[in-house]
Amino acid sequence: MGTILELQGVSMSFGGLKAVDSLSFDVRENEIVSIIGPNGSGKTTTFNVISGLYEPDSGDILLKGESVAGLRPDQVHDKGISRTFQSLRLFSNMSVLDNVLVGMHSVTDAGLIASMLRLPKVRREEAAMRVKAREILEMFPGRFSGPRQQQPAFSLSYANRRRLEIARALASEPALLLLDEPVAGMNPMESREVMEQIKVLRDKGYTILMIEHDMHVVEGVSDRVIAMDHGVKIAEGTYTEVANDPQVVEAYLGKRAAEATA
Amino acid sequence: MRLSEVTERVSGAAARVPRSVYAVGGLVIAIIFPLLNMAGWVETAWLRVGVISLLFVMLSLGLNIVMGETGLLNLGYIAFFAFGAYTTALLSSPKFELRWPFLVVVVLSALIAMVAGFVIGLPTLRLRGDYLAIVTLAFGEIVRLTITNLQDFTNGPNGITGIYSPRLVGEGALESLGSTGPAAWLVIDKPVEYYYLVLACVAVTAVLISNLKNSRIGRAWNALREDELAAVSAGITASRAKLLSVVLSAGIAGFAGSLFAYYSNVISPESFLFMQSVIVVCMVVLGGMGSIPGVILGAIVLQALPQVIRQAAGAARSEFEVYRMLIFGIIIVVMVIFRPEGLLPDTLWRREAHEVDPREQEKTRQSLFDLEEGEKDLEV
Amino acid sequence: MSLDHIVSVTIGGLTVGMIYALIALGYTMVYGVLKFINFAHGEVFTIGGYVAAFTLLTLGVNDGMSAIAVAGCLLAAVVASVLVPMAIGFLVERIAYRPLRGRARIIPLLSAIGVSIVMQQSIILVFGSKPVTIPTLALSSASIVVGGIRIRVLALVIIVVSAVLMAGLTYLVKSTRIGKAMRATSQDMEAAEMMGIDTNKTIAFTFIVGSALAGIGGFLVIMYYGSLKFDAGFLYGLKAFTAAVLGGIGNIPGAVVGALVLGMTETYGVSVDLGFLAWFVVAGLVLGLYVQMVRIPRRRLQHIAEDRRTPEYERSLLNVYRLTPYHGVKTLLAERTDALLSVSAEHAVRLMAGNVFLAVVAAVMFVNANVRIDTRWQPVIAFVVLMVILMFRPSGILGEAITEKV
Repeated sequence: MGTILELQGVSMSFGGLKAVDSLSFDVRENEIVSIIGPNGSGKTTTFNVISGLYEPDSGDILLKGESVAGLRPDQVHDKGISRTFQSLRLFSNMSVLDNVLVGMHSVTDAGLIASMLRLPKVRREEAAMRVKAREILEMFPGRFSGPRQQQPAFSLSYANRRRLEIARALASEPALLLLDEPVAGMNPMESREVMEQIKVLRDKGYTILMIEHDMHVVEGVSDRVIAMDHGVKIAEGTYTEVANDPQVVEAYLGKRAAEATA
Repeated sequence: MRLSEVTERVSGAAARVPRSVYAVGGLVIAIIFPLLNMAGWVETAWLRVGVISLLFVMLSLGLNIVMGETGLLNLGYIAFFAFGAYTTALLSSPKFELRWPFLVVVVLSALIAMVAGFVIGLPTLRLRGDYLAIVTLAFGEIVRLTITNLQDFTNGPNGITGIYSPRLVGEGALESLGSTGPAAWLVIDKPVEYYYLVLACVAVTAVLISNLKNSRIGRAWNALREDELAAVSAGITASRAKLLSVVLSAGIAGFAGSLFAYYSNVISPESFLFMQSVIVVCMVVLGGMGSIPGVILGAIVLQALPQVIRQAAGAARSEFEVYRMLIFGIIIVVMVIFRPEGLLPDTLWRREAHEVDPREQEKTRQSLFDLEEGEKDLEV
Repeated sequence: MSLDHIVSVTIGGLTVGMIYALIALGYTMVYGVLKFINFAHGEVFTIGGYVAAFTLLTLGVNDGMSAIAVAGCLLAAVVASVLVPMAIGFLVERIAYRPLRGRARIIPLLSAIGVSIVMQQSIILVFGSKPVTIPTLALSSASIVVGGIRIRVLALVIIVVSAVLMAGLTYLVKSTRIGKAMRATSQDMEAAEMMGIDTNKTIAFTFIVGSALAGIGGFLVIMYYGSLKFDAGFLYGLKAFTAAVLGGIGNIPGAVVGALVLGMTETYGVSVDLGFLAWFVVAGLVLGLYVQMVRIPRRRLQHIAEDRRTPEYERSLLNVYRLTPYHGVKTLLAERTDALLSVSAEHAVRLMAGNVFLAVVAAVMFVNANVRIDTRWQPVIAFVVLMVILMFRPSGILGEAITEKV
């Protein structure tokens, strides 16, 4: 299995605060890696650095051996990393289908003149995009069927909006999918369903790096777990290894509790 | 809210008629209109009103790309119109004793306006919406003042006069055909000829833009407007997409400016005041941002209707102008407060306009959510 | 370049600067509280001037009257030019802006443009399109001579009155209850509401104070220049807005600093030779070089992670900035291997381009040292300042008091 993503000593600070401090880890092909950690431990900042929203102060980020550190978000996306957001960021007034079509922007190439003249080439591309988008939406059986594809995104239920965001991220068939708390705010039944869908994605060959607080989900899908605290990686390994790591217990429950369990 | 109910019902009924019916109907009326003049039923002055209205339709279509699709407010849009008009005036008038071929001049006018759009867009497009609006306003004023001040080049406030009429073929070819018959049709100098020329240009522009609106590029513009951060994270290069929309809209304005210069024979900085930019903005707001039929309607209503009223009332020009602007101002305020999506709204803007109160919106979402949970039980 | 000339140009610059400041404060306060550019604010200023002129003309003020009568007329004009704009500011906020609160930024801006047109056309309808002129008074043409330099009394009055008003405003915002409410509302409207602040009232108050200041500005301008045109507010408003942005919009001292800088730039720009102006560009160049060679590298050095903090690495980072044409460009063109170095190289090249541009401008100005910019370019100066400041430092000289929330 080849390495898809590799972080080498990535640091990112805001003013005096080191949000991420020489973080290194890697994600291998067709693997699901979860990042856990208390609030403010630098997980989302790590995501933002990987996806190009922030430039790292130092360190490098390699996607299949190629540096993507300091690239703009759209360039990072072009290289093959797509993401979802913790606070949903859909194009709320656009239709469900259009949301997915926007996700395909970087893998399609109809130009200005061709689009204006609606050349046969463009029509073909557009038709193919729609077929593909429907296929992706069908990965969530029954959720986006029929007329619902034409509804505006804001009219969807909360859980469906989360699903749509994943669908949009999948539209470009990324080499690496970043999911920022995919089951946040869902009830247990819904989160179990999303968990199953994440497993389906792995079976389809996707590589996933995700942030998650719901330990059932983390336990259920992760091949590996990385624990962070104060911007530093404090543990890495299988779910059981990490969950029993005294440092991790300390980070979540405090020092006294950690001593008690040890 | 009786009034809003009525407008809602009317627009609802209007929306059930397919859009193509309106497009074809509008085009037919526009084509027939000059025939009424030829038949002697309508004065030629109305044909002139028609030409100017069509030029404003074109400007509104252009401004709509940045305002309606990408969501950027351009308050100096008329500057690009000025670039086109002055390029044409300098290349086809006694000023420098040039008479370049019509097609070359028109294309060059559009190109120069596009270059201006690129130059101003490149450093400013990362600014947030309201700052961008003010920068474009400053740009528009700089262009106008520069035109006024560069007297050697532009004749300053006096403007450039005697712009030649467009010829569709080269000089030699025209002479060999003689000056009557087909040759007379190859020189565009009658209002009716201008009318059809501009109408053809407007129709083509509208079709091209509406294709673009429903393409990958149009979707990218809309996505940037809805949520820029999400759009760039979904692979859209914000700077390139925004620049494209600004440059394209500048090109359309330059093109319209060129036709305007040819048509009016005389141009001066007076035609490119800030107020003119505001008028075009007003047309787009009235008709409906993002809606192509909307902005066409907006431009015609605001350009032609006042002329009709003026004729009917027989008012003096200057006094009438004051009332006209006053009403424009009121229209903008009333529209953004009561019907921000415009007369013939675009789907996205209508949705945008009707989710004003976030709490209200959350309530709708919650009810839909509950509904959906119920559905799921039914499915099982 | 005689000293007399410089002193009188400086006083001229201060005078217009102070007028801009009075208007700019209205923009900046409203922006600070609502994040909204009150485009119609310039028209409020014009209305202030027109109302003052109308009052003076109605009362038939002239030098034949006794000093007390003249003073009475002026007082009436001041009161009118404050009260009418206050009422208008209040009404406009209530009718045209409040229903749009919380909407996308450009929507209330559009409304404000509409309001500005309505006001401008209303001025024409009420007062006509010819400029309004007031009779020349002894006071408005009086001047004193200090050290051989003649200074108009009114210029001094404008400077002093504006300074007093600004001090009063600062006190109001810093130390009173309503000032505290304004600051709270500008920080977080919802939180302020929950703390029991009537945000609607606070916002209305902000509009009223801003309009009053603009109205006084209108009064001072009509006194100083003797006449005013219906569309004067457009240019004054834009310049005042430029001043507000220049100083850092939302920042009250910033508006004053920005206004003075703009007033000076504008006045100096057309009153002195290019050779003299070039020294200002040279000063800018020195500052630019300091930023490129010292300030930014120092800041970048702090970004180096502990484990890479070697002398060689630090030196290569410094070289990128200090020897940009070689090391910077080389790093930029090389394949991206180190995020900090390549990002810095890009930054350094941009800084260098800016400095080279300044150097070229200075050189061109020195070559044409004896040329003077024609006064008809004066309005262009303000617009160019506006564009440059928004492009390169939208947060202004003193920074925005309220940081932008995403």
